[in-house]
Amino acid sequence: MGYYYIACLFVIGMDINMNLFSETYNCYYQIMKEILKDKSSFTLDELRTKISCHGFEESLLYIIPKLSSGEWSLLKKNGELYCTKLSGSFYVPLTTLQKSYLKTILQDKKMQLFLDEPSITNLTTMLKDVPTLWDNDTFYYYDRYSDGDDFTAPAYKKHFRMLLAAIEQKRFVDIDYTSPSRNRVHHHYLPCRLEYSIKNNKFRLLAKTLPLHKGGLETLNLERMTKVEFLDQFAENTVDLNQLIRSSYYKEPVCLHIYNERNALERTMLHFANYEKNTTKIGDNLYECLIYYNKMMETELLIEVLSFGPMLKVLGSEHFLKQIKGRLYRQNRLECLPNHT
Amino acid sequence: MSEFKELVKSFAKSREYVRDFFVYGFKTREDFNRKSTRTYDNERRRIECWLQGFVKQDYTKKGKNISLAIDSNLLDTNPLFRVWKTKSFTDNDLILHFTLLDYLAQNPCCSAEMLTDALNLKYNLLFDVQTVRRKCNAYVKEGIFIKTKQGKEIKYSAAKDFTPLFHRYPAFRQAITFYQLAEPLGIIGNTIMDNFSMDNFSFRVKHSFFVHTLEDEVLLELLHAMHSKESISLELCSTKNQNKSTRTCIPLQIFTSTRTGRRFLCAYQPKSKRFNCIRIDSIKNVTPLPPDSQENKDFSRLWDEHQSNLIKNHPYIWGVSFQNTDKTHLQHVKLTLRIREPEEHYIMERLIREGKDGIITCIAPNTYTYEKDIFDANEMLPWLRTFIGRIVNFTCSSPVVERRFFQDLQKMYDMYDIKNAFRD
Repeated sequence: MGYYYIACLFVIGMDINMNLFSETYNCYYQIMKEILKDKSSFTLDELRTKISCHGFEESLLYIIPKLSSGEWSLLKKNGELYCTKLSGSFYVPLTTLQKSYLKTILQDKKMQLFLDEPSITNLTTMLKDVPTLWDNDTFYYYDRYSDGDDFTAPAYKKHFRMLLAAIEQKRFVDIDYTSPSRNRVHHHYLPCRLEYSIKNNKFRLLAKTLPLHKGGLETLNLERMTKVEFLDQFAENTVDLNQLIRSSYYKEPVCLHIYNERNALERTMLHFANYEKNTTKIGDNLYECLIYYNKMMETELLIEVLSFGPMLKVLGSEHFLKQIKGRLYRQNRLECLPNHT
Repeated sequence: MSEFKELVKSFAKSREYVRDFFVYGFKTREDFNRKSTRTYDNERRRIECWLQGFVKQDYTKKGKNISLAIDSNLLDTNPLFRVWKTKSFTDNDLILHFTLLDYLAQNPCCSAEMLTDALNLKYNLLFDVQTVRRKCNAYVKEGIFIKTKQGKEIKYSAAKDFTPLFHRYPAFRQAITFYQLAEPLGIIGNTIMDNFSMDNFSFRVKHSFFVHTLEDEVLLELLHAMHSKESISLELCSTKNQNKSTRTCIPLQIFTSTRTGRRFLCAYQPKSKRFNCIRIDSIKNVTPLPPDSQENKDFSRLWDEHQSNLIKNHPYIWGVSFQNTDKTHLQHVKLTLRIREPEEHYIMERLIREGKDGIITCIAPNTYTYEKDIFDANEMLPWLRTFIGRIVNFTCSSPVVERRFFQDLQKMYDMYDIKNAFRD
């Protein structure tokens, strides 16, 4: 048996291939689908642009000779122009694996944010012939926070759908919000993205405050919203969210030294894998890691670093180091050290 | 010397390289000692091709350092999904894929012979019937084609087109763009997005650990075994020391950490009569026991019972460990914290939402205790350290765990010279 075997299910006596690493999902197939479904004629340069847009870095070098030489014989050549030989009206059906995935996500509670109950039932019925991939209790998130949002609350669902529509339409909204300090906040915002935290099991809205040319990015918990209303105002341009997030990062990253004991290196690298970071080996068992972050991430990063204990040493930034030392100093003053050491 | 190709036949080899580039990001050509330097060069070039835009090159004293710079806060999808779209194929595979789909879209229900003739007449392509039939049957297995029997003849049609369904339920399209980032096996959702040219402009996911998609094929096999309540044999390779081993077990649940994204198979091991968690990235091969074997029947008969016992054990598992080094059933942990109320109420909230139903008691003004019985208190240490700065006392029924906590704390004081740090 090979490194991976093809998982086969036997449903109603049928042999089903549920292999994930399949040419059906291949990037080159996607490129060709885009080219073949389009009935226009293309020059080689235009084909190159299409391939570069959807392919990998060197896909051009492989695909162009196959097309121009006629080895793939799917395009007709007319002078300098290439055109599909196919009718173009074909579609690529979903595989059983893809349909099973759709049926599986329909079971999830968060699906109610997108679809009402009758729609979920209808879609599930349409997919009755395929098995689900997992059930709601198959995955156990052992360190997930217990105070996740109630995705079934009618007001929550309504706000979610309105904000999603506002993001798509670039429409301004009026939000009434109760801040963590229990103050009422009332502002106009341009919603940019809905952000879901897997750890918190909560949705937050990333929104631009007004005026657009000056305002910053705000994060608002959906559960704390008491009212959301559409405004008759639309943004002309898309907000460059990544630019806003990047510009919010501190110029100086956190600089950590990792002592590779108790498998700390691998644990650290995986733990901080969702941050932009840069790691270099500086000694036999010593590594330096730079982590980029912003004010919003600061407390979380701080306690994550503390959780590693003496396996990590913070060297900078000065601001971050001061906070680590401050916590240890306060701890030292509490004098809870018994005679164990 | 063979010509370099972006696509690969098997993903296994590349998986290890992508993982090392992504997770560590500091290894140079000389650090990769698994295979020859030529293999390293080819794998590196392939990864640079697949993940263009995310590969960063730094020059160190030891040489060129390749790493993957991926900040999940800034991305609408997981760039590592691309590695699943690299399976090599033959020219005939590709030609048959599109011509058969094109012909069947207008002429459903055709036999392999009819399709072979049509390929010749309509597309000027010469294939033998066996090749066409083999491709059709492969697509039936994959679910792309449907096979029906009319009299003695086998006929093939393309499976249902989902485009009208997505037009009817546009919110379902939006849901797919969300789920591909937020839930397991997002790669499958992402291939559906490719199919229907969907993009995600509405969602971001925090605490999404992209690297774990590399284990998705193994995960899929485990899920299948769980779904069928089958027992399996696992081929393992330790992530620490590369030691190889095999294990027979009954797979019950997937344990996932939201802090690291790390996933474990929680299984019952009949040999030791214990639950055990195995890192999915250490599983190299999954083989179901033969369905008719006595061993499989004996193990699988008790699947529901083991599953129900596992759920009963959940309150006592802090992470993934079911036993401790003291060989005691449970260990008791008591943490005393200084929390100024009401201004530091958020610490109370943390204890409630992260403390897994531990008992919280106010023992004096601004002083609270948190107590919990668990299988392995050692697993709690990282979480306990997050309260540094307000820990009045810590006790544990395991002297080893208690000692380690205080020794680590002392090391941290020494590391930052805390006794002298704020003297001025």
